[in-house]
Amino acid sequence: MSKVQDSPSAAPDSSGAAARPAVELVDVVKRFGDVTAVDELSLSIADGEFLTLLGPSGCGKTTTLRLIAGFEAPNRGEVRIEGVDMAGRPAYKRPVNTVFQQYALFPHLSVSRNIGYGLKHAGVGKAETAERVAAMMELMQIPDVGERRPSELSGGQQQRVALARALVMNPEVLLLDEPLGSLDYKLRKDMQFELKRIHREVGVTFVYVTHDQEEAMTMSDRIVVMNAGKIEQQATPAEIYDRPLTSFVADFIGDTNIVHGTATRVEDGHVTVDLGALGEVGGSSDDEIAAGDRVKVSIRPTDVKVEDGSGSDAVVQDSVLVGGHIAMKITSGEETVIAHVSRGGSFEPGAAVRLDVDSERIRVFADGETTAAGAAGE
Amino acid sequence: MTDVVAQPGMPPVVPEASEPDEKEGKGNGRYFLGVPIVGWMFLFFAIPYLLLFIQSFWKPTAFGVSQDWNLDNYKTVFFGDDLVGSIYMPTLLRSLKVGALVTLFSTALAFPLAYLLAFKIRNHRTRMMVYVLVIVPLWASYLLRAYAWKVILGQNGLFGSFLDQIGLQDSFLNNLLYSQAAVIITMTQIFTPFMVLTIYAVLERLPTSLIEASKDLGVGRFKTFTTLVIPLSLPGVIAGATFTMGLSSGDFVAPQLVGGPSDMMIANQVYSQFGATNNWPLGSAIAFVLLGCVAVLVAISAQAEKRELL
Repeated sequence: MSKVQDSPSAAPDSSGAAARPAVELVDVVKRFGDVTAVDELSLSIADGEFLTLLGPSGCGKTTTLRLIAGFEAPNRGEVRIEGVDMAGRPAYKRPVNTVFQQYALFPHLSVSRNIGYGLKHAGVGKAETAERVAAMMELMQIPDVGERRPSELSGGQQQRVALARALVMNPEVLLLDEPLGSLDYKLRKDMQFELKRIHREVGVTFVYVTHDQEEAMTMSDRIVVMNAGKIEQQATPAEIYDRPLTSFVADFIGDTNIVHGTATRVEDGHVTVDLGALGEVGGSSDDEIAAGDRVKVSIRPTDVKVEDGSGSDAVVQDSVLVGGHIAMKITSGEETVIAHVSRGGSFEPGAAVRLDVDSERIRVFADGETTAAGAAGE
Repeated sequence: MTDVVAQPGMPPVVPEASEPDEKEGKGNGRYFLGVPIVGWMFLFFAIPYLLLFIQSFWKPTAFGVSQDWNLDNYKTVFFGDDLVGSIYMPTLLRSLKVGALVTLFSTALAFPLAYLLAFKIRNHRTRMMVYVLVIVPLWASYLLRAYAWKVILGQNGLFGSFLDQIGLQDSFLNNLLYSQAAVIITMTQIFTPFMVLTIYAVLERLPTSLIEASKDLGVGRFKTFTTLVIPLSLPGVIAGATFTMGLSSGDFVAPQLVGGPSDMMIANQVYSQFGATNNWPLGSAIAFVLLGCVAVLVAISAQAEKRELL
C-alpha cells in the first residue's frame, strides 16, 4: 500500500522546505497482545500544523496519540519530537501536553489550581503562575470561574479548563484526544470554531484525534485517515473529500454510494465504468485498472440527479427529509443508491425514475479493498 | 458514611444533567418496600436502645432496678464511685487509644494493598484472587480468628516457637499474649479487610486518566502519588477509619480473649455490668457514653468528607 503514503499537498506550512517537523513517527509498531494497534506507521507533522488523525474506533488513532504523549512505548520504530528521539523518556519529561477525552480535570482542586497544577510542580513562582493562569483563562474566555470546582462547570467550560491546563505549559505540541466527544451538537459546533481560533492565536502544533469526519473537515490543515493501524491517506480536507485514494476513505469521509461495475475504457487516469442498470459513468482513479476489470465507483449522493423516467427500472423506495434536503433511496436491479435532492426535486416512493450521475468527483477504485463499513465492524 | 465511595474519582458531571427522579412517584406506594426493614429496626434496634436509655436514669437495687429517676449512673461513669474509684473514664480513654492505634495500623497495612489491587495488578484473574484473599477472613467467625491469635501469640505458640528457632528466646516478643499489643494485633488483623475494601472502592473509581494527566503536566510518579492519589483517596480512608475506630474501640472480644486484666476496654465494663455485677442502669449509662463518643466521631468524619468532596 505504498501509493497511499505519498502526499503531494501535505504540508500546508510554506515557510520553507528545511523546517524541522514538530513530530516524526518512523515505522512505529505498537501491539497489545495479539492485536497490532499501530502497524509500521510513518508520519511527519509540521511545526504549527493542525493535524487530525481520523478513523473508525479501533483504527489506532488514539494509540498513535498516546505513543507521542509517552503513555505507551512502541514495540518498534521511533517517535521524535523536535528532532529528539523520545525512546525511554516518560510522559512527564516530554514537551507535549494532552487534552483528555473526558477532560480528566482534578476534582479536588479549583479551576485555577487545575490550570496552575503543572506550573506549580515545575517550580514556577506564585506570582508568575497566577499571571499565566489568568492570561490562559482570558484566552479561553472563562475569566470568572477560577475559584470553582470542575464539577460546578458546564461541559463546555470544563473543556476550556482542560485546554487551558495543557496550553499554559507552553508545549511544543498539543495533543487532543476526541476532546469534543462528550459535548452536545451545538456546543460541539461552537467549540470547533473556538479551537480554530485558539490554534491561530497560540500557534502551537495541534494533533487532534477524532472519529467525526465533519469535525476533521472543519478544523484541520491536514487529515490523516487511518484504518487498521495504517494510514489510508493524508491530505488537505478538500483533497480527501474530492480525491479519496481508496474506497475506504471515500466511504468514511462524507456520505457516498459505493457501486460495483466493470471498467470499459481507461485513458490517462480516467475510467469509464459500466454500472449495468445504472448506465455508464466516468470517473478519475489513481489505481492500476485495465479495461474489463471489476471496479468500485464512489458517487456522492449530492451528485446523483433524479429525473422523471416512466418505464425505467429504477424505483424510489423511500424518501425522507434530512435537514435542508431530501434523501431518497432508489433501487435499480441489485444496486441501491442514495440521492440527495432539493425539496422541489423529490419523488414519491414507488415512482420510476431515471438516474443521471455525472460529476468531476466520481472516483473509481480497483475492487478487493476494504470499506469503512467492513473495517468498523471488526 | 455510605455515599463516600461514590464521588471522588468520577468523571466530572455536567451540573444541568441532574434532574429529580420522579418516575416512581405513584402516591405513597413506593414507601411500602421500606416497611419490613424499618419495622425490624424499630422493634429490635430502636426500642431496646430506648429502654436502655431510660434505664440509664434509674437506680440499681439489690435484685433489680427501681424506677427512681436520677443522674447518678452518669456521675459514676465520669467521676467514679466510692466503691471502685474512678475506673470508667480511664478505661474509656484507653479504649479510644487502642481504637486509634488499630485504625492507624490497619490504614498503614491496607493502603498499599488497596493501591496494588487498584493500579498495579493488571491481570484480572490475579486481581480477583488477591481480592478474594482479602475478604476470605471475613467468612470465618470473629471468635475463631481471635482464638487463632491466642494460638499464634501464646507462650509456646507459632510466633514464639519461630523466635526460639532463630535464637531470640528471651525477647519480650516471646510472650505477647495477654497484653495490649496482642489486643491491637488481633483487632488490626480483623479490621484491615474492611479498610482495604473501602480504600480500594475509591481508588478503583479513580480514572487512570487523572494520573496520566498529572504526568502529562510534568509531575513525576512520586509527586503524582502524594498530590493526587492520596488526597483523592481520603474519602475512602475516612470512611474506613470511622468504621474501624468505631468498632474497635467498642470491642470486647479481643481484650477478653488475648488481653490481660489491665487491658480491659470499655465494652468489657458494659459486659460485666450486665452480667456478673448485675447493674443494668450503670451498664446502660456506660454504653450511652460510648455511643456518644462514636456519634461525635461519625459527625466529625461526615464533616471531613463533605469538605473533601465539595
